[in-house]
Amino acid sequence: MTNNPVKPTACKLLDIMPQTQTEWTFRVKNNLPIKHGQFMQLSLPKVGEAPISISGFGDGYVDFTIRKVGKVTDGLFSLKKGDNIFIRGCYGNGWPTEQFKNKTVVIIAGGTGVSPVKSLVNMLCEHSNYARNIYLILGFKNSHSILFADELKKWQTASHFHVIYTLDDENYPGFKKGLVTDFIKEIPFASFDNEYECIIVGPPIMMKFVGMGLLMNKVPEKKIWMSFERKMSCGIGKCGHCRIDETYVCLDGPVFNYTIGKKLID
Amino acid sequence: MVEDCNIKKLRNNCFRQSKVPGEFMLQLRVPGALIDAKWLDVIKHVCQTWGDGTFHLGMRQTLNAPRIKAKDIPAVNEYIQPYLQAVECDMCDVKMQTKDGYPYIAPRNIMACIGGIHCIKGNVYTQRLAQKLEKLIYPNPYHIKISVSGCPNDCGKGHFQDFGIIGCTKPIYTIDRCIGCGACVRKCESAATRVLSLNDKNKVEKDPCCCVGCGECVTACPTGAWRRPAKDFYKIILGGRTGKQYPRMGKMFANWLTEESVLSIMKNWPKFSEWVLGGKPIYIHGGHLIDRAGYQRFKDFMLDGVNLNPEAMIAENINWAETEYRSNIHVKPLDKHLSVK
Amino acid sequence: MKHAQTYQLTVNEMNEFLEQLSKKYDIYAPVRISCGGRYAKDDSIIYQPINTYQEIEFHERSTYPLKEVLTPITQTLFYFTEDEFKESKSPQKDVLIFGRACDINSIKIQDQIYLQNGGIEDYFYKRIRDKIKFILMDCPEQFEGCFCCSVGANKTDMQSLAVSDNNGSAYVGIYDSDFNNYFAKYSAVDHEIQTPLENELKVDYPVIDNLDLANKLKEHPMWKEFDARCIGCGSCTVSCSTCTCFETTDIVYTQNAHIGERRRTCSSCMVDGFDKVAGGQSFRKKTSEKYRYKILHKVYGYNARFHTGPMCVGCGRCSARCPELISYPATLNKLSQAIKEIKGGVQHD
Repeated sequence: MTNNPVKPTACKLLDIMPQTQTEWTFRVKNNLPIKHGQFMQLSLPKVGEAPISISGFGDGYVDFTIRKVGKVTDGLFSLKKGDNIFIRGCYGNGWPTEQFKNKTVVIIAGGTGVSPVKSLVNMLCEHSNYARNIYLILGFKNSHSILFADELKKWQTASHFHVIYTLDDENYPGFKKGLVTDFIKEIPFASFDNEYECIIVGPPIMMKFVGMGLLMNKVPEKKIWMSFERKMSCGIGKCGHCRIDETYVCLDGPVFNYTIGKKLID
Repeated sequence: MVEDCNIKKLRNNCFRQSKVPGEFMLQLRVPGALIDAKWLDVIKHVCQTWGDGTFHLGMRQTLNAPRIKAKDIPAVNEYIQPYLQAVECDMCDVKMQTKDGYPYIAPRNIMACIGGIHCIKGNVYTQRLAQKLEKLIYPNPYHIKISVSGCPNDCGKGHFQDFGIIGCTKPIYTIDRCIGCGACVRKCESAATRVLSLNDKNKVEKDPCCCVGCGECVTACPTGAWRRPAKDFYKIILGGRTGKQYPRMGKMFANWLTEESVLSIMKNWPKFSEWVLGGKPIYIHGGHLIDRAGYQRFKDFMLDGVNLNPEAMIAENINWAETEYRSNIHVKPLDKHLSVK
Repeated sequence: MKHAQTYQLTVNEMNEFLEQLSKKYDIYAPVRISCGGRYAKDDSIIYQPINTYQEIEFHERSTYPLKEVLTPITQTLFYFTEDEFKESKSPQKDVLIFGRACDINSIKIQDQIYLQNGGIEDYFYKRIRDKIKFILMDCPEQFEGCFCCSVGANKTDMQSLAVSDNNGSAYVGIYDSDFNNYFAKYSAVDHEIQTPLENELKVDYPVIDNLDLANKLKEHPMWKEFDARCIGCGSCTVSCSTCTCFETTDIVYTQNAHIGERRRTCSSCMVDGFDKVAGGQSFRKKTSEKYRYKILHKVYGYNARFHTGPMCVGCGRCSARCPELISYPATLNKLSQAIKEIKGGVQHD
C-alpha cells in the first residue's frame, strides 16, 4: 500500500506577499492541476493542518491567502521564502466555470471570502470573452483589511468589469461606505436577459443576507452559487467535522448551488 | 419530689439530661451512619414505649429517644442490648459488655456521609473506615469527635471535628485515552482547585501539589482517560470545633494517607489523651487536649510507631484561626491557667 | 447464521489454542479494568490485547466499543522531520477480535466511512482492517438497554470463529477454514452458537426519508429539553460503536522542536469546538443543537448518504455511559412522535 491520501508533500515556499497586516499570500511550488474554488490541506510540522482555499494558481505555483487566525495560520506567519510547507489536495468541487461561459457573472464576496474567488475573477478578467460582463461587489471591514489591492485596481480598469468596492464603516477613496448587501440593488439584473450566474462567498451571516438580497431582486435560486467554509480535519470525508446531514462539504462542496446550499442546515 | 439521679453516670451511659427533671434522652450510636433498616423498629419501640412517642435525629447521626424516665433506663438498656451487640460488637468488632447499655459517651458517634456505596462524588467506602475507627476509640473514657467524608466536599463536616477524615483519590491519567476535550480542566476549575490545564499538545497537565484529590476529573472524563487507582487515600483535617469559647475550623494535619496509615495514627489517640490528662479522664473536648499538649507533642504521640505510606504528607506546623468572641481570650491570670504551673 | 462445525474446549485447551493463535495474531477482547469506571470502585471494560481465555469479560457489556482496536482514541499517523512525513508502523501481525454481533456489525458502518465515503480509502484504517478477523461472542445474557434486534445488528456473517463461554469450558464454532487445522485433534459436538433473537427492549427506529423532513425536525421543540439536560461531554459518542469522527493534531517533541508526530484523536460532535472554523465561528452553539446533530446523523444523515440503514447497532453503550441518564431509545421515541406530528401537520411555535 503506497497511496496514502492524507500524507502531505513538502513543497517550497516561493514567495510571501503581505496583503494586509494580518493577511498574507503564500506562493507555494505546485504542479498539480487545480480548479477555481478548490482548497488544499496545508500543514506545518509542529503546528497542524488546516483547509485553506486556493486564492490563485499558475504555472508551477499555487497561492494561499491566509488570515492570521488559529494555531495553524499563526505558525505560517513565521515562515520564510525557501522554507518547506506541506500540502495535500487539491480538494473540493470548485466553481462550475463552464456554467459561466458567455453569461454575465455577478460576484459578491466579503473579507477573506474574496480568496476562493480571486483566481476565478482573474481568469474572467484576463479572458474577456469567456463570460460577458462581470459585476463585482467586494466588501471589506475597513481600509486596513483590504485584500489584493493590486488586483482590485486591475479589475476596476477592465472594460467588461463593473465593480463596487465597499468598506463596512469607513470613508476611503475608491470605496463606498456600507455593507455589500446595500449595493445589490445597483446590479441591473433585468438587463441580463436571464443569461447570468451569481456567486456569493463570505462569512455565513453575510452569505445569508446576500442570498436573501438576490432573491428579493428576483434572482432565481438556481443561478446562485456559494462556497461553504467548515472545519475539516481530513478533506477526504473521514473526519466528519464538515458533514451536514448527508452532505460532506469537503467531498460534495465547498461550492453549492443555492437550491442545495439553502437546505444545508448545520 | 425530685428524683435522685446521677446525671454524670447516666450521661456516660448515653442518656442525656433533659430540662425536665428525671427525664433523659437516649442516644444510640450509629458508627458510619449506615445500618440495617430493621433497627429503626428498635428506636421506634423505645420512643413509643418509654419516651413520649417522638424521635430525634441526632446532630451526630445518633438515633435519639427523648423524654425517657430515669426509672425506665434499666429496661431500655435491656431492650437495646441486641442493637449494641449487632452494631458495636458484630459490625464494628468492638469488645465491650452490652447488658447495661453503653459504657462511655466520651468518644462521640463517628459520623460518615453515605460515600462511595451510593454517592457519585464519593471516593471511598466511608462506613467501612468508620467501623474500623469505632473499634479503635470505643469504649474509652477519652473524648473525641471524628467524621468520615467520602470526598473533599466534606459533607461530614470534618472541618469541625477533632479529626475530619476525608476520602481522596490520586487519579491515574492514561494519555492515549485523552481526547483533549477539556471536560476535566473545566470541572477542576469550577469544582476544585484549578490544577489542570490543556497543553499545546491538547493533552492535560496537572499541578499535583495542589490537587485536592476529589476525583471530579474522573467523573467528568468521557473516555476513561482519568481513573481512580484501587488504593484509597485520605486526608485528616485536625482540630476543628464549635463551641462557646474558641470555635475554629480544622486544618490539614495529614494528606495522602492510606487507610492503614489512618488507622495506625488514630490508634494512638487514647494513649495521647491519657498522657495529656495524666491518666484522669475528665470531661474535656478532644481538641483542647491538642491545645494543651501543643501540636508538636501531639504529632509525636500520634505518629509514634506509625509506618506511614510513602505518599503520606504530614503538617510540620498548624496555625489555627479561632473565632475570638473576646479578644486575647487565651490571656489568663496564672491561677486560671491550665498549662503553666 | 450458517451452521458451523462446533467443538467444546476446556479453559486449558482454549488457552493452548490462543497461544497457538498468538504466533500469527494479536488477539483483542473485552477486558475488565479494576476501578476503571466513572465512579469509585466501579470497573470498566475495555478492548485490550489478551493472552488467556480467563481475561475475556463475557458477562458484562464492555464500557467502550470494539472500534478502539481499529481506531484507537489516540493514534500516531506520521512521524515528521523538517522535510518528510513518515507513516507510523503498520501492525505486524494479523488481528483477531472477540466481539458480539452488534460490535462486529458496527465495523460495517466504520468501513462505510473509512473505506467507501467519497470513494477514498483511509490508509491507516485499511492497513489494520485488512488484517482483522472476528471471533463472535454469543449473548446468552443480554444487558440493560440492548436493542440489536430492532436495528438488525443481532446477526452477522463476518465472523471467522464463534465462542460461547460455558462455565469452565467454551464452545468454538468454525466459520473460516483457515482455523480448521487447530481443531484436528478434537471431535465436533452438536451445539449451535446463537446470537440474540429478541431483546427485552424494542425500539421502533424512526425513519426520516427526506432532507426536508430532517430540516423540519431541526426546528421541532423536542430538542429544547436537552439544553438543560445534556452537558455535552461526549461520553455517548466515545462509547458509540459507530461514531467515527476524529481530529488531526501535530505535536513536537519537547527536546527537539523540529521533529514530532501527527496524531489522529477521537473527537466528538457533542463537545465544543467540533465545528469551530479557524476564524472562531461555530455552527452549533447550543447543546441541544449538538445533540440534535448527533441523533439526526444516526437516524437520517448516514442512511441518506449510504442507503444502508441506521447508523446504530443497538449496543446500548451511549445510554449506559450518559452521566445525565439521557436515554437514546427515549429520544428515538420522541423523534418518532415528532415525525408523526410533522407529517400530520401539527404546528409548534
